[in-house]
Amino acid sequence: MRRISISPPVAAILLAIVLFLLSGFLPNGFGNDINVAIAQATNIVRLAVFLGVIAAGQTLVIISGFEGIDLSAGSVVTLTAILTYVTVKGEDDKVLLALLISLAVGALIGFINGLGITFLKISPFVMTLGMSGVVTGLIIIINHGNVSGKVAPIMTRLIARPLSPDIPIPNAIIIWIIFGFMMWLLLERSTFGKHLFAIGVNRVTAKLSGVNVTVTNLAVYSLAGALAGFGGFLVVGNTGVVFIALGQPFLFPSIAAVAVGGTLLSGGKGSYWGTMAGAIVLTLITSLLTTMQMPDSVRRMVLGATLLVMISIYGRQRGFRQ
Amino acid sequence: MSVSLSARNIVKRYGGVIALSDGNLDVHSGEVVALIGANGSGKSTMSKVINGVVVLDGGQLLLDDKPVRFSSPQAARKMGIATVFQELSLVPKMTVADNIWLTREPLKPDGMIDRRVMREKTEALLELFSGTFKADLRPETLVSDLHPDEKQIVEILKAISLNPRILILDEATASLDSRQVERLFELVRRWKAEGKAIVFVSHRMEEIFRIADRYSVLRNGKTVGQGDIKDITEKDLIQLMTEKEKVFQFTKTTIAENATGLEQPVYLEVENLTTEILRGVSLKVKQGELLGIGGLQGQGQRDLLLALFGDIPYQGIVRIRGEVVRFKHPRQAMQKKLALVPGDRAKEGLLYIRSILENFLLPSWQKYGFPLKMKLAKRDALAISERLSLVMAGLMAPVSSLSGGNAQKVVIGKWLLRDPDCYLLDDPTKGVDVHTKAEFYALLTELSQQGKSILFYSSDDDELIGLCDRVIVLHDGKIRAELKGASLTKENLIAASMGVSNGGEA
Repeated sequence: MRRISISPPVAAILLAIVLFLLSGFLPNGFGNDINVAIAQATNIVRLAVFLGVIAAGQTLVIISGFEGIDLSAGSVVTLTAILTYVTVKGEDDKVLLALLISLAVGALIGFINGLGITFLKISPFVMTLGMSGVVTGLIIIINHGNVSGKVAPIMTRLIARPLSPDIPIPNAIIIWIIFGFMMWLLLERSTFGKHLFAIGVNRVTAKLSGVNVTVTNLAVYSLAGALAGFGGFLVVGNTGVVFIALGQPFLFPSIAAVAVGGTLLSGGKGSYWGTMAGAIVLTLITSLLTTMQMPDSVRRMVLGATLLVMISIYGRQRGFRQ
Repeated sequence: MSVSLSARNIVKRYGGVIALSDGNLDVHSGEVVALIGANGSGKSTMSKVINGVVVLDGGQLLLDDKPVRFSSPQAARKMGIATVFQELSLVPKMTVADNIWLTREPLKPDGMIDRRVMREKTEALLELFSGTFKADLRPETLVSDLHPDEKQIVEILKAISLNPRILILDEATASLDSRQVERLFELVRRWKAEGKAIVFVSHRMEEIFRIADRYSVLRNGKTVGQGDIKDITEKDLIQLMTEKEKVFQFTKTTIAENATGLEQPVYLEVENLTTEILRGVSLKVKQGELLGIGGLQGQGQRDLLLALFGDIPYQGIVRIRGEVVRFKHPRQAMQKKLALVPGDRAKEGLLYIRSILENFLLPSWQKYGFPLKMKLAKRDALAISERLSLVMAGLMAPVSSLSGGNAQKVVIGKWLLRDPDCYLLDDPTKGVDVHTKAEFYALLTELSQQGKSILFYSSDDDELIGLCDRVIVLHDGKIRAELKGASLTKENLIAASMGVSNGGEA
């Protein structure tokens, strides 16, 4: 019998579509009103954008292998969200500055992660967990002076509103599609991406083929930090408010989205399309369970179980146990 | 405690490769038998059969004249057979005492480990080698803090702590200094007198003649000679180890003379290259020369190639076309148009789960700009795969789907794509099928005719003799002999590998 093999991103998207269609039969679902259905679907994708962007950095470090993971992503999101908030102070012309600060601060934190992992040989898990604590401390110090700021109108318009009144596609989704294309360029059409996959599979082979493993590793953690920083900028543009626990809830789902998207957790194989699909699946399940008025405990259980089921299916399909 | 072990007509296959086709060995109480053979003759397989590490496919093992079958090293150990392994079997993050008594810790009545007894017993064992190692080798020292020679001593003590009836020393002297070897031989004589039987596997001819009572020579998986050591000379032993029949027809590559009839210029010059293993190696390679590197495995060939490629630090001077270079990363060596085919293709040469395309292009991506010109990359990779007649499902198939020979073609192909001036080859035909080997030989000839310089280490002596003009033989990190022309014979090659001084013009 020929085995049917579906690539993980496609499997994740199919799962999302099936779940969404089934949700129409719920008592408060969209029923047979196509307009409501489209509106609901659009809204779920819009919500998935923030998780998707934060999970982009996670995708890169997980592909880089050797237990690569970024547990500081959640606190970086909170930090850069706060920094954006206090920098912009409601003025449109400060937005670009705030974006650059978010990217730079994120990249700096990521770079320090990379230094610890590359030169002090601290495992990524421990290094980024420790960094998460340090960043959380920084946030508390900043917050003690009582954050006062405001999101600029242009941010709300660019992130939270639709493209135009006639085209009801939220700008966030447009940003995400462009972002996804850039991630694809980075991973599949750049030397850096090819080297990233190489160090994720086998660092000895990579080095003996001329890849500078040290530089690649430093770059990937810096980039992951910058992407988390970008995530913080987007999140505050959407919520319009900041608080200390803003970023942390994104951390576990950001790792889960990468896994559901079929990226190999041991590194060397994966895609950002997969992570995007994973982010949509997780966001969809969360919002469905919320619609069904399930308590938080049940939501967590269902999300955890989904992750386990998807990963075990992928593991079987590709037959890595040689 | 008299004991005897006989191995009769042992057969052992690894997949399609026959490691042993007719292995024989007899060892009795109170004697030392040397197990001798060239590279790939099956001597390590033979010792693994005796100590239960591998299960034999045919033949018979007789212990005290009764047939036995060992399903595991533990089973062999229970019957009184202990091995000192060449690849160290110690746990680095545990102490010397913990390592020696692992799984056999002395216990107190309440079931807890009796540290005091364990310590005393370990000290008694260390006493055997006292005076030959530094004072920091104590029962409580971590194995990871020890020098290689001290680790080897712990390994020996671990084996002897089992109080075996039969002791196998598999290249146990390789990392010991002369004083330690001396002490080991004193101990061996003592154990012999106590009635132990000892199998001695070594590549040092001088040691074999000092300690062994009898010998057993393996050649190409067959035992070709056994007898008393006093009845045989070094020369005859080497003769026995030397293969007679040839499998391949080789075409020698001689350096093409250039138009003016002058000699080709020197491409690579190495002076006094020293690493952890190499002890002052000097050599010259001309443009278009295929220089063979011979010797038994682990004599520094790998270090030589890795140092030249900038992967490991070294002392000494390396010149390329007269210009002094000092590579700190393989990338710099690649920029100077060097290429390395590493010895372990799975661990060092390939990205197993990635596609054939990506493996071919890994060293070359920079050439393809941004965004990468994938069409061009695919065309280049396809051209190389056709040149190498690679058998594959397609460029996007993972390398893990290829056979050994085809996977090795990918390792070589990724360098062909860069058209280097100099190839460093670390045993490229190991584990490669006969047909692919023949293709490789043709490729090597072709490359050297194009004026590429090649350093070619091979564990297959026939290849070296058949393909190269000149072969240097490494032994213990030094060039033991340089063989060329009439002196390039199998006898001389094996003699030099074994450290015999009259082999070739050292």
